[in-house]
Amino acid sequence: MAVQTAIATPAGQAQRPSVWSRIWQNDAPGYLFLLPWFIGFFGLTIGPMITSFYLSFTNFDLLQAPQWVGANNYIRMFTADPKFSASMRVTLFFVVFSVPLKLAFALAVAMLLNRGIKGLPMYRALFYLPSLLGASVAIAILWRQIFAGDGLVNKLLAMFGIIGPSWISNPNYSLWTLIILSIWQFGSPMIIFLAGLRQIPQDMYEAASLDGASKWRQFVKITLPLLTPVVFFNAIIQTIEAFKSFTPAFIISGGTGNPINSTLFYTLYLYQEAFGFFRMGYASALAWVLLALVGLFTAFSFLTSKYWVHYDD
Amino acid sequence: MPSPLRRRTTSIIVHVLLIGASILMLYPLLWLLAASFRPENEIFTSASIWPSSWSLDAYFRGWNGLRTGFGTFYLNSFIISGLSVIGNVLACSMAAFAFARLDFKYKNFWFAMMLMTLMLPYQVTLIPQYVLFRQLGWVNTFLPLVVPKFLAADGFFIFLMVQFFRGLPKELDEAAQMDGCSPWRIYWRIIIPLSMPVLATAAIFTFIWTWDDFFGPLIYLGEMRQYTVMLGLRTFTDSTGESDYGGLFAMSALSLVPIFLFFLFFQRLLIEGIATTGMKR
Amino acid sequence: MVSVANRRQFLLAGSALVAASGLGGLPAFAQDTRLRLVFWGSQARADRTYGVTDLYTGEHPGLAIEGEFLGWADYWPKLATQTAGGNAPDIMQMDYRYIGEYARRGTLAPLDQYVGAGLDIASIDEDQLHNGTIDGKLIGISLGVAAGAAVYNAKALADAGIEIDPMGWTYDDLKTKGAAFAESTGGAVALAPDGSGIELLFENWLRQQGKALYTAEGQPAFAAEDVTAWFKLWAELREARAIVSPDEQAIDVGKLETSPLVRGKAAMNFTTSNQLVAYQTLVPDPLGIAIYPATTTGSTGGHYRNSSQYFAISAGSAAPEQAVEFINFFVNSPEAAALLGVERGVPASSAMRAALAPSLDERSQQAVRYIDQLGAIAGPVPPTPPAAAGEIEVALKTKSQEVGFGMQSPEDAGPAFFDEVVATLARAA
Repeated sequence: MAVQTAIATPAGQAQRPSVWSRIWQNDAPGYLFLLPWFIGFFGLTIGPMITSFYLSFTNFDLLQAPQWVGANNYIRMFTADPKFSASMRVTLFFVVFSVPLKLAFALAVAMLLNRGIKGLPMYRALFYLPSLLGASVAIAILWRQIFAGDGLVNKLLAMFGIIGPSWISNPNYSLWTLIILSIWQFGSPMIIFLAGLRQIPQDMYEAASLDGASKWRQFVKITLPLLTPVVFFNAIIQTIEAFKSFTPAFIISGGTGNPINSTLFYTLYLYQEAFGFFRMGYASALAWVLLALVGLFTAFSFLTSKYWVHYDD
Repeated sequence: MPSPLRRRTTSIIVHVLLIGASILMLYPLLWLLAASFRPENEIFTSASIWPSSWSLDAYFRGWNGLRTGFGTFYLNSFIISGLSVIGNVLACSMAAFAFARLDFKYKNFWFAMMLMTLMLPYQVTLIPQYVLFRQLGWVNTFLPLVVPKFLAADGFFIFLMVQFFRGLPKELDEAAQMDGCSPWRIYWRIIIPLSMPVLATAAIFTFIWTWDDFFGPLIYLGEMRQYTVMLGLRTFTDSTGESDYGGLFAMSALSLVPIFLFFLFFQRLLIEGIATTGMKR
Repeated sequence: MVSVANRRQFLLAGSALVAASGLGGLPAFAQDTRLRLVFWGSQARADRTYGVTDLYTGEHPGLAIEGEFLGWADYWPKLATQTAGGNAPDIMQMDYRYIGEYARRGTLAPLDQYVGAGLDIASIDEDQLHNGTIDGKLIGISLGVAAGAAVYNAKALADAGIEIDPMGWTYDDLKTKGAAFAESTGGAVALAPDGSGIELLFENWLRQQGKALYTAEGQPAFAAEDVTAWFKLWAELREARAIVSPDEQAIDVGKLETSPLVRGKAAMNFTTSNQLVAYQTLVPDPLGIAIYPATTTGSTGGHYRNSSQYFAISAGSAAPEQAVEFINFFVNSPEAAALLGVERGVPASSAMRAALAPSLDERSQQAVRYIDQLGAIAGPVPPTPPAAAGEIEVALKTKSQEVGFGMQSPEDAGPAFFDEVVATLARAA
């Protein structure tokens, strides 16, 4: 494509080197350096995306050729699949609660740390550690133990005479254990908030406190507005991550999404359909609905962002 | 205006709050560590983080708790993570160099494309990729886990490096070009040597993320002797784990050690990497 | 555009890369042949199974058997993933709910050609061979005979002054004696687990009323009202505190260690007769074995002599002969039988039963006696279940939890579950 357009550009100046050598000198190195990425982009992203879109209109079990079934997969999904609606509910619930809570935590701690206190690097590192370890299978195993009937949480509650339920096997609480796990890993948005807070000029606060503005007023009137680009960025990244979350739900529910599908994350359901029941076509349709969802969310965020995100320029 | 005394009290309160929060945050991790050294019968009766007696038994039991020892899993994890680091650093730095330092037609378009892949849920490409790798005969090998890294599949690292490369003085390239240096030489002789911090950051994150990866190995590796540590851990949970919690916790704790070491030695690099680009975790 | 030639070159380059990097799998060391063996079960089963594989490979230098085991719930998705990847293990343990589906997908190797040539079936019970035959082809070799059974903590019952007739107790007994039992333990321990999500128990209850789970054509052989009645029955038992709470039941993920019986929350579990041995390794008190409760005193036809599990060979196995030879050793050699005992059920081979009889411990003898005593209580073996049977087994458990936690009434759950069964069957057909 690049070659065709390059030829089409006017090449009237005769004293210049030929079109080809100019392409070679100007464009070719860039494309050569991008070659691995191009192979990956087309071979592992664009190509598979097209294929997956096609597969979403088929029945495909990997063993026989895909069978075209029109929009059946999508129709079934929205009309006759209770597990789909369950997994959608679970995922949206998880996103809606875990992301704001995580960000609130991250911001609160970042504000505390941003007071020029002693030992900042140490605190920052300690709070960041769970973020780094959090995606590991080991942590999911640990979490399962912590919230089990005879687990750590109930041990601690027992000291206050409270007999707690088995949190992970009770459908009313199981999803909350995963939300808490997600909040526990607030370290990386916290670091981004800290970086953002550093950028706010100190003299703005000084001027405000001379005017007699309270700390809270300063936070609402100065900090928050100036921090909105960072909030926006963190919200987008964390939301996409939350949509994609898989490992904790898999480990904690033993791959089932139980009890009563209360931890059946969308990704977990997709995995079950694709690799547990050989329904690759249906799973592809599920993937496209997920993409549409993430896309809608992102578009919505960007469109509304101009009303609440403040950029300096 | 706050008096010095008042400032002191606030500062103490803040420190108490922060220390309290740190303990709360780290308590589960410390408990895990303690549980791995504890006598088996104490695991479920004690909430303390100090075992009554210390023993390494659980580590020996856990290490050989499955038919294939954890030694094999660690070797596999190190091979996969190591190759991924090489692939990612090489391919992503090349792409980033093109985006940051070279001019070519439609650069902005491709850069936008690259940024778009950051938002793409991997599930969308999962099944066709699986079918492709299956046809290539790569399922049940490390290749599906490693080859994409050599194709710069994780755009986050390209983005990270572009940010850094753009910060390097432009005069370096211009001077080198005057001397007749090829873009390859500029990349290899000038940019790469100057970019060690960002390359190290990318390498560490790649290692940790690959080490932690569970989904990829779950669908691509079928034989026990190919399992990564994470897959081995899961198998341990699902089979022996219920009857040997000590061994399970010991192996869980051990699986975090490589990550923890990176954290210990390179946390400044990691934190800077996040602060400048907004890495996801 | 990718031309055929390019694709082939790509393939070639790919395989060259595999070979060059040694990533295609670590070198196979000294062994000439390697068999992968997977099964579900508990540590007790693993210890016995590995005992046999170690014995066998010790006698066959140049052969390695790589074993892996998982819990029931994790086993099936894992096996499906391996099969989807064209990477199924050589020997896999199969269940009657899944064997039909796997066989009809062509992923299991028919074993007829090996009969008499490496595989000796002369002393294996006719009905057990029949169970492992799908569409006229011998697919699975039965590893043991078992039947549905309630395993109970005899000491706990005696302590509470409760007695049940192991071969004749009823659901009414479960209710009244369960209430009395809960009384005596102050509610800390229930007599029984919540069995409403156990497919085998549901099937047994249906069969006692002349119905069944599936017809031979793979359609449901029960009605929505039956499901409602079933959930109502368990709601009453829950009301009477004869069974554990839904919270406690939900902890049970199908591993012995997570069952209310082993965790000391119930004095019983509804399982299969072969599991008595494994449960006894986890419960310090002496265990007893009883039938599933009768709907009415003296009702029959609910139980049947099932194959507890099969060994089957992957259609893609590179060494089917060696795999067959190993299975033959597993089911036909007295040495293997001595190691395995009756943990997988009573051996399907009469010769092995005879060889084993003198050396069995008390608990194992109890399990064997139970099968013998079933007699008229047992009915015929049901036909091979349809393809979605495994999925439906899981769905019943989920639905039972919904009712247990009060999210759906039995009246709503009955038709809802029935519709789900019909839809699932239609989809898998």
